[in-house]
Amino acid sequence: MHASETESRTQQIKQFALDAGGDVVGIANPRDWDEHVPEGHRPYDILPGAKSVVVVGSRGPTAGAWRSPNHRVMEVNGYDFRNDAAIHRVADMIESDFDHLAIQAPGLPTGGHLPPMSMMLSAVLAGLGTRSLAANIILNPKYGLLYYSACITTLEFDYDGMLEQDVCPHHMCVESYRRFGKTPCMAACPSDNGGCLDGAIDDDGRIEYSYYDRERCVSRAMNFGINSFQKSLAQIVAEEDSERQSTMIHSDFFSRSCSAITNYKESVAQCFECMRVCPIGRTERKLQ
Amino acid sequence: MTAQNKIDFATAKSELAAIAGKSGALVSGVASAGAFDDAPEGYRPADILPHAKSVLVVGGAQPRAGDWQSPNYQHMEVTTTSDRMQTLALKMARFIEDRFSYYAVAVPAGVDRGQQPFMSISMAADLAGCGSKSLAGPVLHPEFGFMYYGAIITTMPLPADKPLDPPACPAPECVRMYEAEGTTPCLNTCPAKAGGCLDGRIEDGRFTERQYDATRCATRVQNYWVPGFQKVLGATLQEPDAEKQKMMLFSSMFSRTLWSMTYSNVAQGQCAECMRVCPVGYEYRTKN
Amino acid sequence: MGFYFVDPETYNKYKDEILEMSHAVQVNFQEHLPADKRQPGYSDKQIAEKLGLELKVVREIRCVAERDKYPLDEFEEAIRFKEKACLDYSVKGMSAVMEKYVKESKK
Repeated sequence: MHASETESRTQQIKQFALDAGGDVVGIANPRDWDEHVPEGHRPYDILPGAKSVVVVGSRGPTAGAWRSPNHRVMEVNGYDFRNDAAIHRVADMIESDFDHLAIQAPGLPTGGHLPPMSMMLSAVLAGLGTRSLAANIILNPKYGLLYYSACITTLEFDYDGMLEQDVCPHHMCVESYRRFGKTPCMAACPSDNGGCLDGAIDDDGRIEYSYYDRERCVSRAMNFGINSFQKSLAQIVAEEDSERQSTMIHSDFFSRSCSAITNYKESVAQCFECMRVCPIGRTERKLQ
Repeated sequence: MTAQNKIDFATAKSELAAIAGKSGALVSGVASAGAFDDAPEGYRPADILPHAKSVLVVGGAQPRAGDWQSPNYQHMEVTTTSDRMQTLALKMARFIEDRFSYYAVAVPAGVDRGQQPFMSISMAADLAGCGSKSLAGPVLHPEFGFMYYGAIITTMPLPADKPLDPPACPAPECVRMYEAEGTTPCLNTCPAKAGGCLDGRIEDGRFTERQYDATRCATRVQNYWVPGFQKVLGATLQEPDAEKQKMMLFSSMFSRTLWSMTYSNVAQGQCAECMRVCPVGYEYRTKN
Repeated sequence: MGFYFVDPETYNKYKDEILEMSHAVQVNFQEHLPADKRQPGYSDKQIAEKLGLELKVVREIRCVAERDKYPLDEFEEAIRFKEKACLDYSVKGMSAVMEKYVKESKK
């Protein structure tokens, strides 16, 4: 194909993705996965013949939601899955207008917490952000926390490649680490005090060590949902006293767990405390 | 994004109404954030978004005329459309922030701790003049009747609307019926004195002494949902006979409950009998 | 038998090792780190090959162990943690998280 045609359709698909609801869009080369993940979890394992991975990122909570003193507001409204809606439109458009195969990359877990393909790695390889100290969240230079979806396609686009400059740590965090031994995210959720995070920054201001306790994070970020439902049920079933069992079944905790598994948007993204104190993207969350 | 000092708030309100209308809302209105004195502390707009000034309300997504005409009551149990207004509310919150640079939060349709709503969206709809409280419970628009509402709290000081006067309920037909027969269509359909949910009086053209059995109503509106799931679970766990236990777990009641929980975005409003007979908005529930 | 589930004896024998090899605790995942420092965790297939177990067994043990690692108390503690963190931040901003470390650095 003529180089300018690839460039032209790359521009076209990117604009389409932004119009469809994405805040950012990038494109990655499927072969870039080879270095980072084992067989079975690469784009061409999901769609043979894959030539491109189009990645869309969209914001979660509104700036107003970040300001609420009631953390439950974002537990329930923190993620509206707009990125999924946008990527479906991208996949539809590629198949209908370009006559190439296109699928939404499967980002939901299929075995415990493990998805067939990592949306976080997709975002990194498409140049949309870099992996941070805060729960390995991929931070976008402008928006900070975004949610990502990917479309794998047999159509070749121009690739963006990884960002050259780390987004995390922010210079304020480097300073904070040097002076106080903690970045704000590590201070908000320290693993040495019942939290999830730890890390170190080297003399060049880059992450040299990161630690993330994912299962503890699950108890916070998926406080009410599949996990809490299963664990409460195990306790309920084992309870021998029928009256105690009844109060457990009708408890607020179990009721919230049940309603979270019915409203899928409510069952994820239930803790934002490391992101609340993150300086990256802060200007986008400050309107007045 | 428009600089705040250049915004004409009346024009902005019209723009928001136009966007909401194009996106499927039948009505929209604004309530002052300071008008929620009747709501308990902790459940007012500023409790969710500090410095809140306005609450934008959007309403629509009514069941269609064909839905009401179906003689199969189960049809509407699985086709309610409350999710569309919540989706619109999220979209409007994002739009307010991006366009006008004021903070905005969509009031979650889910529940806060203790199974309480974050804020009464019905109260917001009433205060914004999008409808008025009814004897049966739902907020009714004088023209369209029963519909679903979403609410967006914002720091943007939009010109506020007023509650409807006269209110949509009771309709003139209901006043006449009450004078003649001592009841109204909704009270007659679901009378508290005969195992239903509603009771009340009409005096001088306004309803008074309204009684509403919310717990009984929940057994009908959420016939197959989390409360039913919890009850079946409790009964099943206490059944000593393994064969009977299996019958309970495989029962149509339990199966229906699980379906409704999984598809809760369309299956949470499972009783509308009081609305089926309501004269307000009747012409939108019929065709030639 | 009905649906497949792992027997408790096999589970208890391998759960700690499998969880450690999985992504349950993520150390040095950052892509910019040199290959000899990165610890990306293993896929179920890789773990199965290393331990000489069936893939199905490894996957099942990992799934149960992920759930099992923390008790429900941790989920209740999460409610307390978030409520406090969100409220404190709304009142004190960044000093809500940094104050303690600033004071310690002055000692």
